[in-house]
This record gives sequence, structure tokens and C-alpha cells, in this order.
Amino acid sequence: MTLGYLGISLGVGVWSGRKTSKGPEGYVAGDRALGFLVLYFILGASIFSAFAFLGGPGWAYSRGAAAFYILSYGTVGLVPWYFFGPRVARLGRKFGFVTQAELLSHRFQSKGLSAALAVISLIAFLPYLTLQMQGAGYVFNVVTEGRIPNWAGAAIAYGVVLIYVFRSGVMGVAWTNTLQGMFMMVLAWSLGLYLPWKLYGGVGAMFERLAETVPEMLRAPGLGADGAVWTWGGYSSAIIISVLGFSIWPHYFMKIFTARNERTLKRTVVFYPTFQIFLIPILFIGFAGILSYPGVRPSDAILPTILMSLDLPAVVIGLFCAGALAASMSTGDALLHAAGSILVRDFYRVLLRPDLSADQQTRLIRILVVVISAVAYYFAVMSKISLVALLLLSYGFIAQIFPVLLAALYWPRSTRPGVLAGLAAGCLVTTVWNLVPQLQWQEIHPGVWGVAANVLVMVVVSLATPPMDSEHVAQFVVD
Amino acid sequence: MRPRLFSSRLTPTHRRIYRSVVVFFALIFLAMIWPVVTLFSHARPLVLGLPFFLFYLSVLLVGSFLVLLTLYLWEKRTGSSSDPGEGSF
Repeated sequence: MTLGYLGISLGVGVWSGRKTSKGPEGYVAGDRALGFLVLYFILGASIFSAFAFLGGPGWAYSRGAAAFYILSYGTVGLVPWYFFGPRVARLGRKFGFVTQAELLSHRFQSKGLSAALAVISLIAFLPYLTLQMQGAGYVFNVVTEGRIPNWAGAAIAYGVVLIYVFRSGVMGVAWTNTLQGMFMMVLAWSLGLYLPWKLYGGVGAMFERLAETVPEMLRAPGLGADGAVWTWGGYSSAIIISVLGFSIWPHYFMKIFTARNERTLKRTVVFYPTFQIFLIPILFIGFAGILSYPGVRPSDAILPTILMSLDLPAVVIGLFCAGALAASMSTGDALLHAAGSILVRDFYRVLLRPDLSADQQTRLIRILVVVISAVAYYFAVMSKISLVALLLLSYGFIAQIFPVLLAALYWPRSTRPGVLAGLAAGCLVTTVWNLVPQLQWQEIHPGVWGVAANVLVMVVVSLATPPMDSEHVAQFVVD
Repeated sequence: MRPRLFSSRLTPTHRRIYRSVVVFFALIFLAMIWPVVTLFSHARPLVLGLPFFLFYLSVLLVGSFLVLLTLYLWEKRTGSSSDPGEGSF
């Protein structure tokens, strides 16, 4: 039975991963209304990963209202793109930028900055990747009723990566992948509404029961990792760091350079919050599990656990597995290709081998993808951290780039030494605060202290060093 | 060159509009974190079946969406932008 699920999911998963020449975007060129709907779902499918499907309900299940921080940062997180996006796109066209590091290193005339950004991006990508594989491990483990251990499930995810790499298949926007993404969204939504109705008689009834029995789960800031009430510092700083980092993720940021026009870019930003609305019923699944499915560990496995208890047809379970794997690995694939490209273009080629040919670059990227995903796999097996906590770890580092971007476009007086020093200070503080828990205060996210140090040092050092050439800076800065 | 958030080529009215939008989103952001959020953090009363806090966040979400949508539609109709520039957009 469970092998049947596995077979279906692997079959669908591998089949959907093959490189198709006609993605939905080709289809979309003709019909604008349909085009918008399809693109909307493509975006949605790419946004939802193991973080949303598993991590979200996992936190709702174990930490209650703490999970609402996810809803919060998505509300304003992409708004900066509305304002700096068009400029970034314009600069990209003018100078031929492909990566975020190219823009920033040109502005500050620093190869060192390019390399530093590449390294920071890699450090941030790793936990994000790890959580995808960890999530896949949970899904296969629960769905096969424990027959497939977590490490093997994660290995399947890693194996899928290798298949894509060696078929040079970018999961991208193959039709089947989009359909899977839509299926997952529909499934999660349906489950999110069906479960409260089945278990409690409705969403309102469910929250009524929860408010009576475990009100601290519904009251902000929810619970902390230890099961006690979370601190406002922890909750607020999770939002702050996520808002700072959200518009900076290099693999999304790069897409600004390929935006067809300002309108499309802005429209993406405008409609992004609607995906947050999709997230709400997904969280309901976690809430539904609190009283009805106690003791599920790890809590990130709550969605597949509930799913398995519902006696659904094998096809549905199989499709869910395929969908979960697709969701995890499409995000994982985007991260890996971005990580590989960034390391090759912004680190290796900039610092060591400017004469690298396109073919050599591609080959190097492939090797790096295999290596990086192996590292992520190792951590996925070893880690006991929740999926959401992993992403928060990532955010602490990626957010350090936000002050650099703001300085690049809005502060003409910022200088190369200032930005480099700020970045170094920020990353150092974030790392130290992560490693030395005794330094923490009010559970404030280490990255927040990092950004504070980053900005302070950047300002002080910039003002202490000679201004950059104003004609050069004028090309970048808003005037 | 002084630091600017918006292009100097904007009319005063347009600049006021963009500034208001930025202020709006700054307020939304502050409304979601300590200390403002503590005023709205309770579970009861349930509104539309949702715990009050969740309802509150949903209102912020919908409000943000509507404001940005309105800005987008206005920009589309008037051809404005906070950062207009050459480059055929």
C-alpha cells in the first residue's frame, strides 16, 4: 500500500520534472486574462514550499498564534520592491546585471563586496535548503507509516535534485509542476476548511473550543519553542528580520532584472498578499490538530499525520506526496541554481577567473549544486530544528544585505569601506549572537542585533571615509 | 546630492501621495509588532469565527492590499511612478 504511494509520487515527481519546451508562459502569451490567472498560480506554486505546507501548520499546532508572524511579514515584506524594483530593473538593463551582487558591487566598485555577498547568500540558502529536504523526509516517513526513515525521505529529495541537475532540467514552469502546485494549494485549502468542520463543526466552533481550553495558543505571541509563552521580543523580531530580508532574497531579487516591464513587477507586489490569504486555512490545519491529534512529533509532521488518518484514496495520498516533494524541490531547485550561479559568477569569476567560459560556468554550477545539496542533506539528517526556525536562521543573514541595498540606491554618501565594514559587523554580530545564547535578550532574533550593528558601522565608517565619485554614484541613486 | 526617497521630478502632490503610502506601510508594520500589537493580541472576542488577533491581522492584510492596489490603479491611469526614468517601461 505505502509502496504504492511512493511509486505514484516518484512517478509523478520525476515525470513532472522533465524539461518541457512549452511552459505555461508560452501558452500564456496569447490570452491576457487567462495569462494573469496562470501566472498568479505559477507564482503561488513557487512561493509555497515545505515552509508553508509543513512548517506553518507545524508552528500553529505546537506554538499557536506564534505562527501568525508568517502572516504579518508577508503583508508588507514585498512592498519595497514597488519602490526600488523599477530602478533595479532599469539599472540591470543599462549595465547588464544578472545577479544582485553585480548591482551592489558595481555601485560600490568592490570585488570584495561581490564575493562577500556570494558567501552570505550561500550561508542563508543552506538552512532554507535544509528545511526542504527535512520536510520531504517527514512526508515520506509519515505516509509510509514509518517504514521510510527521515534520512531516506530526505535522500529521495536529494536524489530528485541530482536527476534535475543531470538532465539539466530546471523545474521552472513545466505545466505539470504548476498543476501540482495548484493541487497542493487546493488540497491545503480544502483540508484547512474541511478539518475544522469535521472535527468541531466549523472554523468558529474550533476556535471557540480552543479559546476555552487553550487560550494561550490563540493569543499573541503564542508559545515559544520550550512550550512557555513566547516573548514579544521573539515574536516582533521574527517579523522585523523577515520584513528586512524578504525583498532581498537573491533568487527572487534576480527576477527583477528579467521583469518585462514596470507594470508587471508592480502587479506582482500588489497581488502578493493574496497568497497570504491562502496561508490562513493552511494554518487552520495545525490548529485543528491541537486537541484532536495530541503528541505528534515532530510538530512539522502534523499535516501528513492528519492526512493519513482520514482514510483518503491512495491516489490522493500519492498526489499529495508528489505535490509536497514538488513544492519542496521547486523551491530547493531555485535556491540551488541561484546559489551555484552566484558562487560561480559573483565569487569565483569575479575574484579568480574572469575568463571563465559559459560552458565552464555551467559545468561548475552543476558541480556546486551537487555539493551544496549534499551539505544541505547532511544538515537535514542531523538537524532537530523546526522548519520555521531554520528559515528564521536564514533570515538573520540575508537581512544583512538590506542596508547595503538601501545605501546603494538612497544614500549617496555611503562608501565602499562603509558598506564592507557594516556587512562584516552585521554578519559577525549575527553569528556570535546565534552561537552564544547567553547574549540573547528577550529572545530578540540575532539578525536584528546584526542589522543594528551593520547600519551603525556603515554610517560611521562611510562618513569617516572620502565620498565616492558623485558622477558614478549619480547613476545609481534616486535623484 | 542629497538622499531622496522619491524622484525630485515629482510634483508636490505626487510626492505627498507617495510619502503617505510609505507612512501607511510603516504604520502597518508597527501595528504588527510590539508594542502596538499588544493592544490587539487577545483571542476573544471571536470575529467571523476567528480569534480576534487573527481577525486583526487579516484586516491589516486586506487594508494593505487595497491601498497598494489603489496606488497601482492610480499609477496606471495617470502614468505616474515614484521613480520615473528613461528606459521604456
